[in-house]
Amino acid sequence: MKILSFYLLLLLLSVFESKGKNVLHIKHKGFKLLKSIPEPSDIVFDSIGHHYYIVSDHGYLFECDTNLNVVRKAEKSGLDFEGIDIRDGFIYISDETPREVYKYRMSDLAFVEKYPVSWGGAANKAFESISYNYVRHCFVLVAQQPTVLVEYDSTFKETGRYKIKGARNIAGARWHNGLLYLLSSLDASILVCDPNNYNVTTVYHLNVLNPEGISFDDRGQMRLVSDDTRRVYYFDKLPILHQ
Amino acid sequence: MIKKFAFITVVAAVASLTARAQYSEFDGNAAASQFTLSSDGNTLQIGGRISGYYETRFLKDDTTYQKKTHNGWAVKDFDLDILGKTANKFVYEFHASLVDLAAAAATGNTAGPQNPGIKSAYVQYKGWPVKIKLGYDKLPYSQGSMSDVWGTPFWSHANLYGGDLFSRRDFGITLNYRFLNDKFNAYAGAYSGMGENFFEYGNDASGRMEYVGRVEYSYPSKVKYNLIDEEMSATPVFRVAANARYADKTQPKGSSIITDEPDAPGVYGVRVFDGKKLAYGGDAIVKYKGFSATAEVHFMQLKPTNLTDGLYNGTDQSKNKSVVNSGGFCLGANYNWEKKHSAFSLMYEELNANDLYVGVQDWLYLAYAYKFSGFNSVLKVQYYVPVTEDKAQDPLHYTGQLRVGYQIVF
Repeated sequence: MKILSFYLLLLLLSVFESKGKNVLHIKHKGFKLLKSIPEPSDIVFDSIGHHYYIVSDHGYLFECDTNLNVVRKAEKSGLDFEGIDIRDGFIYISDETPREVYKYRMSDLAFVEKYPVSWGGAANKAFESISYNYVRHCFVLVAQQPTVLVEYDSTFKETGRYKIKGARNIAGARWHNGLLYLLSSLDASILVCDPNNYNVTTVYHLNVLNPEGISFDDRGQMRLVSDDTRRVYYFDKLPILHQ
Repeated sequence: MIKKFAFITVVAAVASLTARAQYSEFDGNAAASQFTLSSDGNTLQIGGRISGYYETRFLKDDTTYQKKTHNGWAVKDFDLDILGKTANKFVYEFHASLVDLAAAAATGNTAGPQNPGIKSAYVQYKGWPVKIKLGYDKLPYSQGSMSDVWGTPFWSHANLYGGDLFSRRDFGITLNYRFLNDKFNAYAGAYSGMGENFFEYGNDASGRMEYVGRVEYSYPSKVKYNLIDEEMSATPVFRVAANARYADKTQPKGSSIITDEPDAPGVYGVRVFDGKKLAYGGDAIVKYKGFSATAEVHFMQLKPTNLTDGLYNGTDQSKNKSVVNSGGFCLGANYNWEKKHSAFSLMYEELNANDLYVGVQDWLYLAYAYKFSGFNSVLKVQYYVPVTEDKAQDPLHYTGQLRVGYQIVF
């Protein structure tokens, strides 16, 4: 009984400790189970075609309508697709384990070419995210652990590295409204970064299990994907918060 | 009947849909390894673990026993692991404990016959819906055994699933698949049945294998094989599982486990013996906001062939009905206080190795970890005490033991 009380005390301490911190907790308003996409790992919204593109841990690329029904699947597959972004009519995908970036043509999901990228850390803790920084005009891939952001030019030659502080891991990245949003699956949080220096300006905490991919639709509503639950979670627009 | 059960389990495994689950120490928990080479879609990950502790046993006030061999330094791990993944979806792994290899070589494998030094050596194909693994690795049986003790504040597994009652590793084939939107996960396999003693003896004279099956249900997401809630689960997650294993090691004329494979039976003589063995049990884990609670139970029905077998303890057949029962349970509670880099663990187990001997043993474990960098760089303190001593089967010379040490995982 005394031991049980001890653990309950610890729980209470942790709850009280989180109170009063200048962070914001946000909750999803629903979710959809992706029955036909095994282990979905990232999601991106195409504001022109109004379709979502989702990648799977099994190395597949899917195109989905706004209701997240699969409409097309790329013929060419990889090994461990973990991050996806869209730029200038092409889809770029991070294949985490073999350290490669796949390039597909959006119009017909045809494979174009792939680029080697370098990360010497654990096989399954490499680049789970890819996005484009429109301020510094470069691709960014963020290593899951340790949390290091690596900049690449258009041919995926490395141009810079930055240590990201404030999260135990990074599993997703997305450009939105002039800011870079980084998603931590281990901490279930979103870090909003200044795109000039990658300093974290805002933190949102989530009630989602192991979120791995982040996207915003054309109205700014956020979508998170979780491979462990095989779900896409729906959120409203993120509230503005200044720390 | 038992054969039918094993056969149906294997057939069900083959017939099902998607596959994905890991309990390899270095594949399932990638944070353990931090160096990877890659070339043209192939990767090779190199990892390892070094750990040691200072231990003190609090000896009983007994003038006839004053050995203090457990009062001093101990090397826990000096492990190396190589994990490869090929572009055509093959996985291969070799994991060795150099400490155990050295001890086995120096002592003729008598120091710890259940720790021969090889922990994994297998090839796996992941390109089909059902994953197939061939080689030597952990068995898909017992949540506590499948989970890595290095990822907890403890220095050792509970006695219940630490290898004294049943083997934790063996050579054979394992099928694994997930189905119903990954909520269910199933394993089925056939192994030598010699467990960790396979390297010492190879197959036994019976020519028969051991069959193992396990089915898990997780909700709302998959639950990893780590007992601590390092993810600080934002919503409650749980997993329940049932598992069973069966081996008929009845020896042909002229063969004897006791004389041919003397290390195989283990400390209680129940791991491998001349006869039939059915083990079954279940386990569960729930995690939420850093808390985790675990439960595990095992039952074993042992049917030694020879009625004069020592497992019967000289009892009459009218009393023992040609069956020896064994098993126990284990309960655990953990709290991961991530903001303070701390993890607390509490565990209680009861073990009855043989119901034809009087007595059971109960143990209480307390442990704390200060995580400088997760469990990759961690200070661990463990204290355990025998609550009930089984004087017939496992007489003790101490009343408690303390271990304090450090662990590095790379």
